[in-house]
Amino acid sequence: MALRGHASIQGSTDIPTLFDMLPGYLRMPAAEDDLQSLEAYNAAAGNPKGWWVNYPKYSISLLKAWFGEAATADNDFGFGHLPKISGNHVHFATMLRALDGGLDGLFLMGQNPAVGSQHAGLQRRALASLKWLVVRDLAEIESATFWRDSPEVTSGELNTQDIQTEVFLMPAASHVEKEGSFTNTQRLVQWRDKALEPPGDARSELWFMHHLGKRVRAHYAGSDRERDWPILNLTWDLPEHGERAEPDAEAVVKEVNGYVVATGEPVSGFAALADDGSTACGCWIYSGIYADGVNQARRREPGDIADPAGGWVSPEWAWAWPANRRILYNRASADPDGNPWSERKRFVWWDEEAGAWTGYDVPDFPLDKRPDYEAPDGALGMDAIAGSEPFSLNQDGRGSLFAPSGLADGPMPAHYEPIESPVANLLYPNMDTNPVALRWRRPDNPYHETEDPRYPIVATSFRLTEHHTAGGMSRKLPWLAELQPEMFVEIDPVLATDRGIVDGGWMVVMTARGEIEARARVTDRIRPLRVDRRRVHQVALPWHWGYSGPVRGDTTNDLGVLSGDPNVFIQESKAFSCNVRAGRRTGASTARLAGVHAGQHIAVDEDDVLAENPKETPPT
Amino acid sequence: MSTTTAAPTELAVHQVDARRMGFFTDTTTCIGCKACEVACKQWNDLPSDGAQFETGSYDHTGSLGASTWRHVRFVEMLDPAAGGPGSGHPGDLDLVQWAADGDGEGSGPGAGAGVGGPASTGVLGDNRWLFMSDVCKHCTNAGCLDACPTGALVRTEFETVIVQQDVCNGCGYCVPACPFGVIDRAPTDGRAAKCTLCYDRMEDGLEPACAKSCPTDSIQFGPYEELVDIAQRRVATLHERGETGAYLYGAGDEPGEELAGGLGAFFLLTQPPERYGLPAQAQSPVQENVAPATVAAISAGLLAAAGVALAFVSAAHGQGRAARLRRRRRW
Repeated sequence: MALRGHASIQGSTDIPTLFDMLPGYLRMPAAEDDLQSLEAYNAAAGNPKGWWVNYPKYSISLLKAWFGEAATADNDFGFGHLPKISGNHVHFATMLRALDGGLDGLFLMGQNPAVGSQHAGLQRRALASLKWLVVRDLAEIESATFWRDSPEVTSGELNTQDIQTEVFLMPAASHVEKEGSFTNTQRLVQWRDKALEPPGDARSELWFMHHLGKRVRAHYAGSDRERDWPILNLTWDLPEHGERAEPDAEAVVKEVNGYVVATGEPVSGFAALADDGSTACGCWIYSGIYADGVNQARRREPGDIADPAGGWVSPEWAWAWPANRRILYNRASADPDGNPWSERKRFVWWDEEAGAWTGYDVPDFPLDKRPDYEAPDGALGMDAIAGSEPFSLNQDGRGSLFAPSGLADGPMPAHYEPIESPVANLLYPNMDTNPVALRWRRPDNPYHETEDPRYPIVATSFRLTEHHTAGGMSRKLPWLAELQPEMFVEIDPVLATDRGIVDGGWMVVMTARGEIEARARVTDRIRPLRVDRRRVHQVALPWHWGYSGPVRGDTTNDLGVLSGDPNVFIQESKAFSCNVRAGRRTGASTARLAGVHAGQHIAVDEDDVLAENPKETPPT
Repeated sequence: MSTTTAAPTELAVHQVDARRMGFFTDTTTCIGCKACEVACKQWNDLPSDGAQFETGSYDHTGSLGASTWRHVRFVEMLDPAAGGPGSGHPGDLDLVQWAADGDGEGSGPGAGAGVGGPASTGVLGDNRWLFMSDVCKHCTNAGCLDACPTGALVRTEFETVIVQQDVCNGCGYCVPACPFGVIDRAPTDGRAAKCTLCYDRMEDGLEPACAKSCPTDSIQFGPYEELVDIAQRRVATLHERGETGAYLYGAGDEPGEELAGGLGAFFLLTQPPERYGLPAQAQSPVQENVAPATVAAISAGLLAAAGVALAFVSAAHGQGRAARLRRRRRW
């Protein structure tokens, strides 16, 4: 599941939809770890110095939240039953696995890879290689209809009768038709109530996952196979209400907050979590969001706007993780002696009289640790953090301009050209592109070499105000569709004149992956670059259109190549090289994959090794 | 104000003590998101006009019409190199010519050879889009209302002008009578349609849908006098910040007779009105064809019947401002 481009990206990382993390930035166990015990995992993932000394409290409380009574010290709290990652399971790698026949089924929840993902022609072929596919969305998006109307099917490259993918299209409730929360970039968790019932069969994600889980568990009831243990013992007991048996979303908040196992009472915060199985907590950094049995994220009290303690912070407006702190590491707003750096901007400071940290925000520091505290030799945990070192999650308590470890590249920033660029790297002539960027080298994912004369033009993609990502929420609405009705390419007048392209006329953009047609928007806004005494033209492409719905157009992502940045694996191909000409595309298909068969890996090289192995993910 | 006397047929009065309400649209804070256009269509249940790709702009809905009562105009401003030769007018930059001139080494952009190439700072200095969310002006002297033979067009107790769809016979006289090209006949039934300032919402004390949806408060709704006050302070602020071209269009920066006696929905502009597709002068046909004194008498009669004296005070006040501000006008 990818929720990119949505309102709660922060939230979808905190309680992650990412393959390599557990809730609260705990490390996902990996199959190749040397030791598969909880103790070894905790030792490897935690740190002896700094706040992460508490790691076992959070991992064990998480296991208690998931496996309830079945999680005991004797069975490592069920740790051995957690799924283990065995490679790089990012979106691109997963779709390639599907293409090669290694994946039976897929859930798409709010994602439209047939339009919105790089190398969309390949993505559609991957969807066509699945046995089953569940699509949950507000409209019948291209990823649900590819088997009957994709360019590959229209052109005859693929035949509908040969596509065995069984597609289940499930209508989804919109954000006003369900309750829940958004976590913004400030880590502020804001609750919203449901305004109206979703129409027809549309349901919330919570309803869908809850009832799917119940049905799956019913299938497994009574099984005594060891591998079914996590399904049978998963706590899956949310209260339901109403005719539609909607699960209680606030019960999820309570589990996320954490509670005392013996009494069920919500804990006040992560400081109350224990590593002996006496507490359960779904996401330790969110602990406190349900303190006192109240959904703190639902608060709407702005406070006294005129008062710094009120309006600067508004501590009772919703709730921020961790511990309702609005600014992380806010001890840094005071100098090493604990006095505000700026009286005008005083925020958190040391009160000598009270012997405590105080301020407008919740201090992000042990309240009674004096600014002049020195860590004795050999100190561990928070004792190893001096009173003048605000960044207590780091072992040395200090912030870093450049991370000394944990990145696949760096630590110093460097300039590389994009993987596909019409110009060489002027800064490092011996290294045109990032050597540790992810590349999936295979016949159906061909790369343009640097300075490839066939592709002398820079292409960059962009978004329009009027449409939302792959268009599932906007292209189907006539009022939005009429505002930006057709795919276009912005191109400068020099290049247009050179290629005989006229404003409003048709033009074609070509890469090794495909060719798409679009209206030309000839504009002075797009300017040629001058690089190394050469003029380099660029074209800009919005990427919202697809092959179904009331307004249709070719898909920019049909041009792209699968690639990833080395750290979080986000597509590296925001800019790539291409060529353009006047006219319409030559064939019915936008993809150039006909005749390229799936599963033809070429020899594994070092890039492939990188692509197959998950990164090391130390806690951050 | 009193409404105890029977209202003339041109007046719709459902609420006593209603004040003149209007829009202040500040183009300097518009971000071109078109939320107003969509919110208007949604609230008023107006259909899409179809999807037509237009060249030259991000504006695909083109203009106000029977089913587009808010329309965001996109005006592309491309300034050539400031101070360079031949850089007289925005939009004059000739990239093709630049390419021809700038091919040789040393004479390219940034080489200071006098050609306003893309790398010179001037070109990048003042490139921008002007956005203007256009709407019915709800004129003091409304041409559409003057021309309507059926009484379908009426002035409301909020001094806005609306069409009564069930009375309109589709004659279309109002269409050429509007100096702003606002009112239009629906292709489906031929009847006239335009912005009502969300009369139904105002009746319930709600602000119009477009103003409600505007994320930057570029569209502000409220009592006319308050809006004028806000707008004048905004102009002053902009002048202080160096945006000396800022002025109000339709709210006292010009003689009343030039812009239909004053506009209930007025604008803050920074360029000559023609650049936004607005007329520099706008009069109702009645004003055009009847001696000004008579117009005044007619207007006085109408307004007196409505029991609204404030507008006159405001208009007189506006004349003084107009004289003051006209000196700054750029058209």
